[in-house]
Amino acid sequence: MGRYLWQKTVGFALTALLVSVVTFLIIQILPGDPALLVLGTEGSPQAYQELRGELNLDQPAISRFFGWLIGFFQGNWGSSLRYSLPVRDLLQDAIPLSIRLALFAVGLALLIAIPSGMFMATNRHSPLARILSIGTQMGMAIPQFWLGLLLIQFFAVRLTLLPPGGSEGFISLILPVFTLALPRAAVLTRFVHVGLGEALEEDYIRTAKAKGLPRNIVLYKHALRNGAIEVFTVAGLQFAQLLAGTIVVEQVFGLPGVGQLLLNGVLQRDLPLVQTLVMLIVMGILVFNLGFDLGLALLDPRLRYE
Amino acid sequence: MAFNIIKKISLHGLVVLILVLVQGSAFAQVINIAVPADPDSFDPVKTVAAATGEIAFNIYEGLVKATPTGQVAGALANTWTVDETKTVYTFYLREAFFHDGSKVTVDDVVYSLNRARNPEIAVRAGELAMIQGIEGLDGAVQIKLSQPHGAFLYTLAEVFAVIYPAHAQDLAHHPIGTGPYSLEEWKPNQHLRLKRFEQHWSGQKPYFQEAKFLIIPDENSMVLNLKAGRVDLIPRLETSVLHQVEGNPRIQVLSFPMNTVQVLAINNARAPFDDWRVRKALALGVNQEEVIFGAAWGHGVEIYSALSPAMADFYNDQLASINTYDPNRAKALLREANQERLQLKLTLPSNYPLHVQTGELIAEQWKALGIQVDLEIVEWGTWLERVYTQRDYEVSIIGLAGRLDPHGILVRYTTENSRNFFNFSHTRYDTLIQRGLETVGEERRETYLQAQEILAQQLPGIFVMDPPQLVAMAKGIQGWRHYPIYVVDVASLFR
Repeated sequence: MGRYLWQKTVGFALTALLVSVVTFLIIQILPGDPALLVLGTEGSPQAYQELRGELNLDQPAISRFFGWLIGFFQGNWGSSLRYSLPVRDLLQDAIPLSIRLALFAVGLALLIAIPSGMFMATNRHSPLARILSIGTQMGMAIPQFWLGLLLIQFFAVRLTLLPPGGSEGFISLILPVFTLALPRAAVLTRFVHVGLGEALEEDYIRTAKAKGLPRNIVLYKHALRNGAIEVFTVAGLQFAQLLAGTIVVEQVFGLPGVGQLLLNGVLQRDLPLVQTLVMLIVMGILVFNLGFDLGLALLDPRLRYE
Repeated sequence: MAFNIIKKISLHGLVVLILVLVQGSAFAQVINIAVPADPDSFDPVKTVAAATGEIAFNIYEGLVKATPTGQVAGALANTWTVDETKTVYTFYLREAFFHDGSKVTVDDVVYSLNRARNPEIAVRAGELAMIQGIEGLDGAVQIKLSQPHGAFLYTLAEVFAVIYPAHAQDLAHHPIGTGPYSLEEWKPNQHLRLKRFEQHWSGQKPYFQEAKFLIIPDENSMVLNLKAGRVDLIPRLETSVLHQVEGNPRIQVLSFPMNTVQVLAINNARAPFDDWRVRKALALGVNQEEVIFGAAWGHGVEIYSALSPAMADFYNDQLASINTYDPNRAKALLREANQERLQLKLTLPSNYPLHVQTGELIAEQWKALGIQVDLEIVEWGTWLERVYTQRDYEVSIIGLAGRLDPHGILVRYTTENSRNFFNFSHTRYDTLIQRGLETVGEERRETYLQAQEILAQQLPGIFVMDPPQLVAMAKGIQGWRHYPIYVVDVASLFR
């Protein structure tokens, strides 16, 4: 176990370092200069030079990179060029919001997907299963921003039940969470359906049934547990993806999440912000993946013995 | 059955509760205003973003302040005098207080203006370069100019020349001004909360106790927020979503010229565009009416030179016939210049849908002349670097924001100006712009009329339209005051 953790840690460090180098290079290679972007069409060469000095852009790229890297590990994340605020202050609100969104969205998706997937696997020919099947097709096909706008139109404009945007309290997260959850639920439903369907064809299920076990025990203890591994793997991937922000949904609902910050940071070539954010997201995902690997081992004994 | 009744009653209760909540917020005198992006910094000498100026207008004031008609009126200065050399201005301060309760002193004024013209601190220090020295007197401030400067007073109304206390710290996030509103809270990507300032020197109190600027980047959700009542005012509605609010009985839309010049910039230094006949042919090949109809839903105003009609005092209204759409003459000119198979690259900034749509329409109009047009759509950072700074382009489209005074707008087209990405050079034009600074009154106006005519004839670029500023408000919001600069005057609004 110790060796395993050690290997993982070295892997972490290398991945994080590699990502930071790549991010830095991409921002360097992209045309566009943060000082120019700040000044826009009113800039003069004199103001440009002053601003470059102020933003430390006049130093060589290499020394800026190492300056940033050392600062990052000392917890000194620098100041955003776009918002002229410390990066730390910007992230204080954005990261918890994105984590909350990701948790609720994937949680809700699982809550929808497991019962409907089970129903579809066990009642293949019922009309409701057909409808659910069409629903999952649609859920996967609908663009998220459009779904978001539809939900706002119906629940906020027509019924005035829920706020159309903003992040004031839990109630304002309901629509964004549904917008994120529905397409993911559609994907997960298919996985539950297929996973469970395949499990139900297995020999051990026939054996269990032949032993005279009650239907529910066969279904929940034997079939679902085996079918669930893939479902949770996919849900884990969805969660990790949501951690990195959900630019479109954040824009539609005016949510101050990680995606907005990242988008504005990239558009303004805001290196300290983008660099720090990408680094934290990568580390967050790496840690999550490790925890997730260990968690899956609980579900699947085969993973434990390897 | 009984259960159903209970459900119905509780549903009604919920509806009543929501109605009460909605009504309640209406009495609280709060106005919610939707803007697409955060300000950059509230330090007046650091900011360049229009998004900041729009909000800062309510927070800060200068010695003088812009009026809706594009004039300047006294703000912190009660009156002022100019000596006969037109180089010494004396501003007499009125009694006024900052948001932190301290009194505005002569020292604060001297400090703020000196900071604004210090090139090591202020990004736009160059615009105050005409100032030779600033001196504090008893209750007054004397500013000496190195030479007469016709645009000086207007320059003092700009955001970089506002007054703040000499003891202020961290203005970027905690601005302290004298304006009718003070900044209470700024949550990036969420909102800015402004509170009414009860000690404003005018003694008048704005109707709204609180103004909240909500950051909503997506134009469709902006409209939905307005419909749902979370937003009361959208100061700049995208024309592409106008149809979603038109005919809505609870929403009113006002349309004004923006005092922005949408120009099809031409690189005058690059062949074959250095040939006047080619530029003229391109200009004659643009059907402005069709462009405004197609790209701005008919709401833009045609322009013929670098000033918008919004600049009423200086606008030359005699130029409409110079470049009237005439494809046959355009073709003849191209033939004459030996450019019948002209091929050009039209570079468009992707973040401005209006310019992209305008470009697509003009490309079609030019193709009808036999010109081969390659559209190149680039991201804003790329545009600024390649087109604006390196001047590495053939033809492009951009909107140039207006100012109160024509000098700031027209000086861009002079040969040595760093913002002249047209590479336009015309000796007589340069002389006229210099003369504009040295003259006043009718003579100054006449100078700028001539300058506009030169631009219309010589064509550094093709002037297309002043795009519309569409103001969408909930019915019941009144008092919108329109300015020829990029601001929202919250103090004028009421319900």
